[in-house]
Amino acid sequence: MLAPKPSGNVDSSGDPRIEQLHRTIGQSRPRALLHREVIGAAGVLQIAAFCTDYTYYTTAVWQWANFSAWLITAGLIVTLFAVILLLIDLATGRARRLNTGSFILVTAATLLSLVNAFVHSRDAWTSVVPQGILLSAVSAILLVIAGTRGWSLARSRTTGEHP
Amino acid sequence: MRTTLLRPIAVLISFVALGACSSKGGDTARQYGPDPYLPEPHEYLMPPMSVPKATGWKPGEMPTASGGLKVEALATGLEHPRTLYTLPNGDILVVESNSPGTEPFRPKDFIAGRVKARAGAAEKGGNRITLLRDADGNGKPALRTVFIDHLHSPYGIVLVGDTLYVANTDAILAFNYAPGATQITSPGVKLADLPAGPIDHHWTKSMTANADGSKLYVGVGSNSNITENGMDVEEGRAAIYEVDRLTGAKRIFASGTRNPTSVAFEPQTGQLFAVVNERDEIGPDLVPDYLTSIRQGGFYGWPYSYWGNHVDVRVHPQRPDLVTRAIKPDYGLSSHVAPLGLLFSEGQRLSPAFANGAFIGEHGSWDRSPLSGYQVIFVPFVNGRPVGNPLPVLTGFLGSDNETVHGRPVGLALDRSGALLVADDVGNTVWRVSAVNPGT
Repeated sequence: MLAPKPSGNVDSSGDPRIEQLHRTIGQSRPRALLHREVIGAAGVLQIAAFCTDYTYYTTAVWQWANFSAWLITAGLIVTLFAVILLLIDLATGRARRLNTGSFILVTAATLLSLVNAFVHSRDAWTSVVPQGILLSAVSAILLVIAGTRGWSLARSRTTGEHP
Repeated sequence: MRTTLLRPIAVLISFVALGACSSKGGDTARQYGPDPYLPEPHEYLMPPMSVPKATGWKPGEMPTASGGLKVEALATGLEHPRTLYTLPNGDILVVESNSPGTEPFRPKDFIAGRVKARAGAAEKGGNRITLLRDADGNGKPALRTVFIDHLHSPYGIVLVGDTLYVANTDAILAFNYAPGATQITSPGVKLADLPAGPIDHHWTKSMTANADGSKLYVGVGSNSNITENGMDVEEGRAAIYEVDRLTGAKRIFASGTRNPTSVAFEPQTGQLFAVVNERDEIGPDLVPDYLTSIRQGGFYGWPYSYWGNHVDVRVHPQRPDLVTRAIKPDYGLSSHVAPLGLLFSEGQRLSPAFANGAFIGEHGSWDRSPLSGYQVIFVPFVNGRPVGNPLPVLTGFLGSDNETVHGRPVGLALDRSGALLVADDVGNTVWRVSAVNPGT
């Protein structure tokens, strides 16, 4: 959501050691986190699944339940990619440490979606109503909050307080 | 929830308190007869499944015939034999067929496809009819020819006069048959279209003719387990059709029969019967498959209810008006046994025990543990009605480990000598079951 800013403009939240470090080594460009946009993509898929669930709930047109099943499955697969990228971010030092709040939100939403993938593998009405849509609603709420926090599951090296 | 892979998922289930249910099936004997035991339905995150691996028969292996009977292979190396039919001159027709193939719609369909392949159900069918001629009746056919080729997922077959009717998955074809013919090369003439694509979930079109040959009766299965492919694709499905043999005009004779895989007339009363495969994924002991007489205009519940008026909550919107008039089937065969073959006995040529009643070929379960079916049974009839407990006729299709399967019985026929023929679409064999001491 937010493009990485040049180091000179970074709000380092008053950590003088980091500001000092940047000045000292003259680093001009922080390395972007790899996982962030991918988490965002996965989150959007899961939120969309709630929308298609809701449409199925109001219309009983089976294709919407079908869309939900695919969106949830795709969301989980994209999440898997994002986790791999997050590990790369941590291993390569792009990320310094986990952004605990967002990490918990996305982890909880992913676990709910995993269960929901199985609920959506049921046949017809009860693949969505009531458990499926309940799970996708809670998952969507958690992910919207994670989205407003900027999707990032880790704090980057150069930004002490990543949004 | 038995395999190690599924264990973490099971833990997760209990963690989020969605409730995991017991997944073991109970005693199948409780589900035979007119009033089968019906447990409460359960919905699962992962329906209980148990799919035996298809291994086929090694040389010398064969199923087990019950007392006083012996079994031998009449023909092997067939391409997914499903239906058998004996012509008046004693020639035996073997319909070799399988599903026309369906495109996956949902993520779960990819899993289901792999499950089917493991069980030997994904094998391509021959799309043809093979003729076997065993003129001296010794169980070793001297002649084997491709009788009709290039069919489209054929299943039902019946001869009326000099016309042989073959029910492809999408149409009934009529072929001229000359007695003694060993091959038909002229193309069939279409008598009537049958509900088929684009999904064609239950693709088999079972067929029989009434006594005077004026009407054909065709079993058409539903396009889903329980309407998960939408209501519009169920139009005209899960029904038994009556087709006028001369004009091809057709009408729905009875409805609500989820998958009527075999239809036959009871010889004493002339009453139409069917075996029907019921719905899945609400428990190992739900819903019992059944044998029932078919009443004209009757509604047998699918999709709205099962075994009379037991409502299925998976269907939306519901139809209480139809549920109240849903007919209870005559005779439960226990759950998930997949009865595919139905054949009425003709006197006691095979055994006195089998003088009056119906043979049923049970293809066997996939969403039940322990496994169920995988045998040929006999349901005794009294005064044209199924009565009492079924008797085993041909068993031993499962390996002794209960995890592999040699074969799966499907269609049945009696040969000219009164021996019972059983099509086996995993063993790719036709088995012949005859009396050890003929003439008793």
